[in-house]
Amino acid sequence: MRALERHRKLSAIWASETGFRGWFSTVNHNDLGRMFLFTAFLFFIIGGLLAMLIRVQLATPHSAFAGPEIYNQIFTMHGTVMMFLFAIPTFEGLAIYLLPKLLGTRDLAFPRLTAYGFWCYAFGGTMLIVAMVFGIAPDGGWFMYPPLSSAIHSPGINADFWLIGITFVEISAIAAAVEITVSVLKYRAPGMSLEKMPIFAWYALVTALMILTGFPPLILGSVLLELERAFGLPFFQADLGGDSLLWQHLFWLFGHPEVYIIFLPAAGVISTVLPVMCRTTLLGYGWIVSAALALAFLSFGLWVHHMFTTGIPHLGLAFFSAASTLVAVPTGVQIFAWIGTMWKGRPELHLPMLHILGFFVTFVIGGLTGVMVAVVPFDWQAHDTAFITAHLHYVLFGGFVFPIFAGIYYWLPHFTGRRQFFRLGELAFALVFSGFHITFLAMHWAGLLGQRRRISAYAPEDGWTTINLISSVGSFILAIGIAMILIDVLLHVFTARRSRRNPWNASTLEWAMITPAPAYTFASLPQVSSRDPLAREPELATTLARGEGFLGTPRDGLRETLAVDSASGRPEMHVLYPANTRLPIIMSAVTGLFFLSLLLKFYWIVPLALAGVIVLAWKWVRSLGLRDDPAMQPVGHDLNLPSSATVERAPGWWGSVFLLTANGTFFAALLFGFAFLWTVAPGWPPPVWFTPSVAELALGVAGAVIAPLAMRRAIRRNRAGDAPLFSVLIALSGSAVLGIACAALMLRAPAPTEHAYGSTLLVLGGYGLFHAIIAALMGGFLARQIRCGYTSAKRRAAFPIVALWVKYTSITGAIILLAAHLSGMLS
Amino acid sequence: MTEIFRILIAPLVWFVSFSAIYGLHGVLCETGPGAFEGWPVQRVVLISPVLLAIALQVVNLWMLYQPRFTAPAGLLRFVSRAGGWTGLVATVWTLFPVVALSACT
Ligand code: HEM
Ligand SMILES: [Cu+2]
Repeated sequence: MRALERHRKLSAIWASETGFRGWFSTVNHNDLGRMFLFTAFLFFIIGGLLAMLIRVQLATPHSAFAGPEIYNQIFTMHGTVMMFLFAIPTFEGLAIYLLPKLLGTRDLAFPRLTAYGFWCYAFGGTMLIVAMVFGIAPDGGWFMYPPLSSAIHSPGINADFWLIGITFVEISAIAAAVEITVSVLKYRAPGMSLEKMPIFAWYALVTALMILTGFPPLILGSVLLELERAFGLPFFQADLGGDSLLWQHLFWLFGHPEVYIIFLPAAGVISTVLPVMCRTTLLGYGWIVSAALALAFLSFGLWVHHMFTTGIPHLGLAFFSAASTLVAVPTGVQIFAWIGTMWKGRPELHLPMLHILGFFVTFVIGGLTGVMVAVVPFDWQAHDTAFITAHLHYVLFGGFVFPIFAGIYYWLPHFTGRRQFFRLGELAFALVFSGFHITFLAMHWAGLLGQRRRISAYAPEDGWTTINLISSVGSFILAIGIAMILIDVLLHVFTARRSRRNPWNASTLEWAMITPAPAYTFASLPQVSSRDPLAREPELATTLARGEGFLGTPRDGLRETLAVDSASGRPEMHVLYPANTRLPIIMSAVTGLFFLSLLLKFYWIVPLALAGVIVLAWKWVRSLGLRDDPAMQPVGHDLNLPSSATVERAPGWWGSVFLLTANGTFFAALLFGFAFLWTVAPGWPPPVWFTPSVAELALGVAGAVIAPLAMRRAIRRNRAGDAPLFSVLIALSGSAVLGIACAALMLRAPAPTEHAYGSTLLVLGGYGLFHAIIAALMGGFLARQIRCGYTSAKRRAAFPIVALWVKYTSITGAIILLAAHLSGMLS
Repeated sequence: MTEIFRILIAPLVWFVSFSAIYGLHGVLCETGPGAFEGWPVQRVVLISPVLLAIALQVVNLWMLYQPRFTAPAGLLRFVSRAGGWTGLVATVWTLFPVVALSACT
C-alpha cells in the first residue's frame, strides 16, 4: 500500500462528519482539542473585556461608570471566567490536542468522554454568560464566601448561577482529568517507558491527578451551599450548628491547588519549548519531574494561608506559613533547571522565546511577593488590598498567560501547517509586556497605600488617583497588545504560506506527521527508544507514513490503537475506538437540563433528567459489548495482542480507578466537614441526636460485606467457565440492601433544616443511597450482558469494573452507616 | 503501580500526618483547658505523632536506598528518592511549629 492510499483509507475511517454537523458528533481529539482552545479563548476575550470595565471604573475617583451592584458582578465574573472558563479549559484543550501526538498514539483513552466534557464546559459556561447578559450574574466575588453568599444575604438567583454553573463546568474538568490520566499511563507508543515520556506528559499527568483530588472539595462545597440556599440545610449558618469557615476550608482546599493546576501545564509548555528555542535538551529532566510532583503535593498543605486573617490559632498560622515558604523550593528547582537549559544551549530570540522571557521576569516577581504574603504579619497588612490582586496577576498572568502565548506561537505551525511571516507578534509582545507591568506594578503600590480590593469607588483624598490612572492606562496598552496577538494569529491562519514539516527542528513526536494533523494522527505507530525520537530518526515522519510502524494496515473500517504497560511501555492490548456519535452532546444537554431545572427550581423535571442520564449512560456502555470471543489481534511487526475486552484491567477499569479517586476525595472532604462542624462549629451539640438502630446498621453492613464478596465469586466463576449470573444478582441485592439502610438514615435524620448535624446525616445518607443505586444499576447491566451472551470466560473485562464500583460503594456505605449510628450511640 | 506507589508514598504520608496533626491540635484545643505551658499531657499527645511522622519518613527513605526495596535504576529511582527526601524535609519543616509553640490562641 502506498503512503497516499493509506492516508485516504485511514482518513475515511477516522474522519468526522463534514461541515458544522461534524462538531456535534465528533469524538476526535484533533477536533475537540481545537474546539476547547477556541472556546477557552472566547472566554478569555470576555474575561479581558470585563477586566477593561474594571479598570475603567477604577481609573477615576467617585466613578459613575458602574454602580456597586454591577461592579460586584463585573469583578466576580472576571475572576470566575478567567479561572474556570479560561485557564483550566485551556490546559484541557492543549492536553487533549497534544497528548496523543506527543505520546505517539492515535487518540485519547475515551473519545466520547472528551466530547462529553467539552459540551458540559460549553453549556455550563454559556449559562454563566447568559446570566451576565441578563444582569443576574453572581456577585459574591470569585470565592463566594458565605454568609455573604447565603440565602439571607444574597436572596437573588445570582449565587445559584455560580454554584450550579461552576459545578457543571467542573464535571468537564473531572472528565478531562480522568481522560488525561489514563491516556498518559496507558496510551503511548510501544517502547515509551515512563523514563522516555516527553516532559509535557509528566506535567499533564501531575496536573490531571491534582484536578482529581483538588476539585472535589469545591464541588462538595458548592453542593452544600446550594442545598443550604435551596432547601435551608444550615451547613454554613453559625446559629444552627453550621460554620461559614467550613466553606473557606473547602474552597481553599481546592483554591490553592488550583493555582498550581494552572501553573504546572504552563511549566510543561516551557519545559517543552525552551530547549527547542535554545537548541539543546532539557537540563535535569529527573529534577523537573520530581519538582513537579513535590509541588503538587505541597500545594495541598497550603490552603489555610488564605485564611490568615480569620482568627485561627497561632499554631495554624505557623504551620501554614512554614508550608507556604516551602513551596518556593520546588518552584525554584524548576526555574534553575530552565536557566541552566538556557546556559547550556544557544538561545534564539524567536517569538515563543520572547514570551518565555516575559514569563521569567513576571513569574519570579510574583513568586517573591508570594513569599512576602506567606509571612503572616505582612499578610495581616496586605490582606484584601490591591497588593494581593497585583500579586495574583503576576502569578497567573506571568505563570500562565505568557507561557500559553509562547505555546500558541510554538504550535501554531502545527495547527495550521503554515509559517509565521508578519512581524506583528514582536510588537504585540512588547505592548503586552509593558502594559502588564505598568498595570500591576501600580496596583502593588496602591495596595500598600491602603486601597482595598473589590471597591467600586474611592475618594480623591485617599491619594490613589494618579496611581489608578496609570494602572488603567497600562491595562489599555495591555489590551491593545492582546488584540494584536489575536490579529496576528488570524492573519497567520488565513494568509501565511505553507511551511515545511517541523519548522523548529524539534525532537518530539508531534512533529512526525503531516500538518495540520490528519484525523488518524499517525499512519502507523512508532517504536520509541529515546526521549527525543526525532533527533535520532529525522526521517521518522516518512517511515511512519509508509506504514512501517505498528498498526500500519487499515482494516475493516476499524479505529484501532494499542495500549501499553504503564511503567515499561511494553504493548499490552489492542483497543478499538467508538465511531462518531451524538450521544455525548445529548448526554451533556440532559445533564444541563438537570442542573438548569435545579437552578430555576423546576424540581419536577429533576427526576426526569436523571432518568434520561441513566438511559443514555446505559446506551453508552451497551455499544461496547462483543458477541463472540475475539482472537489475538495482529498489530504489525509480528506482534499479536489480546483485545481489550479480554483483559483483567481494561481501559474502563483504569478510568474507574481515577474517577473513584476523585469520588473518594469528595467523600473524604464530606467526612472532614462532619468532623469540622462537630469539633469547631459553635452551636454543638445538636438539640436531638440520631436514634441509632442496631437492626438497620447490621442489615446495611451485612449488605456492604456480601456485595463485594459475591462479586469476587462471580469473577472467579466466570473465569472458570461457570455461570456467574447468580453471584452477580446476589451482589446487586447486597448493594440494594445497603441502599435501603442509607435511605432509612435519610428518612430518620433528625430535623435537617434545624441543625447542621441532621443536614450532614441527610447528605451522608444521600451519598450512600446514590452510590448504592449506581452499583445496583451496574450489577443489573452486567446481569443483562451475561444473559444476552456478551460475556464469557474470555470476555471478562466488565466484571472487575463492576466489582470495583461495588467495593467502593460498600466501603463508603459502611463508613456512612457507622458514622451516623455511632454518633447517635455516643451521645 | 508499585513504581508509582514508591514515588507517591512519602509525600502522601506527609500530607496525612500534616492534616491529622493540625486536626488533632484543633481537637485538643476544643476539648482541653486551652493554653499548654510546660509539658502537660496535651503537649506530649501532640508532639509524639510528630516524632512518629518523622520516624516513618526516615524509615521510608532508608528503604528507598536499600537494594531490596529500591526502584529500578534510572529515572524512577531518582524520582522516588527525591519524593522520599521531599516527604522528610516537608515533615520536619512544616511540623516544627508544633514543637516550638503549641498554644491554642
Ligand atoms: C487581561 C488582563 C487583566 C486585567 C487588566 C485584570 C484586572 C483585574 C483587576 C483590576 C482586578 C481587581 C478587581 C477588584 O478587586 O476590584 C482583577 C481581579 C481578578 N482577576 Fe484579573 N485581570 C486580568 C487578567 C486576569 C487573568 C488572566 C486571570 C486568571 C487566569 C485573572 C484573575 C483574576 C481574579 C481571580 C480576580 C479576583 C476577583 C475577585 O476579587 O473576586 N485576571 N483583575
Ligand atoms: Cu494559596
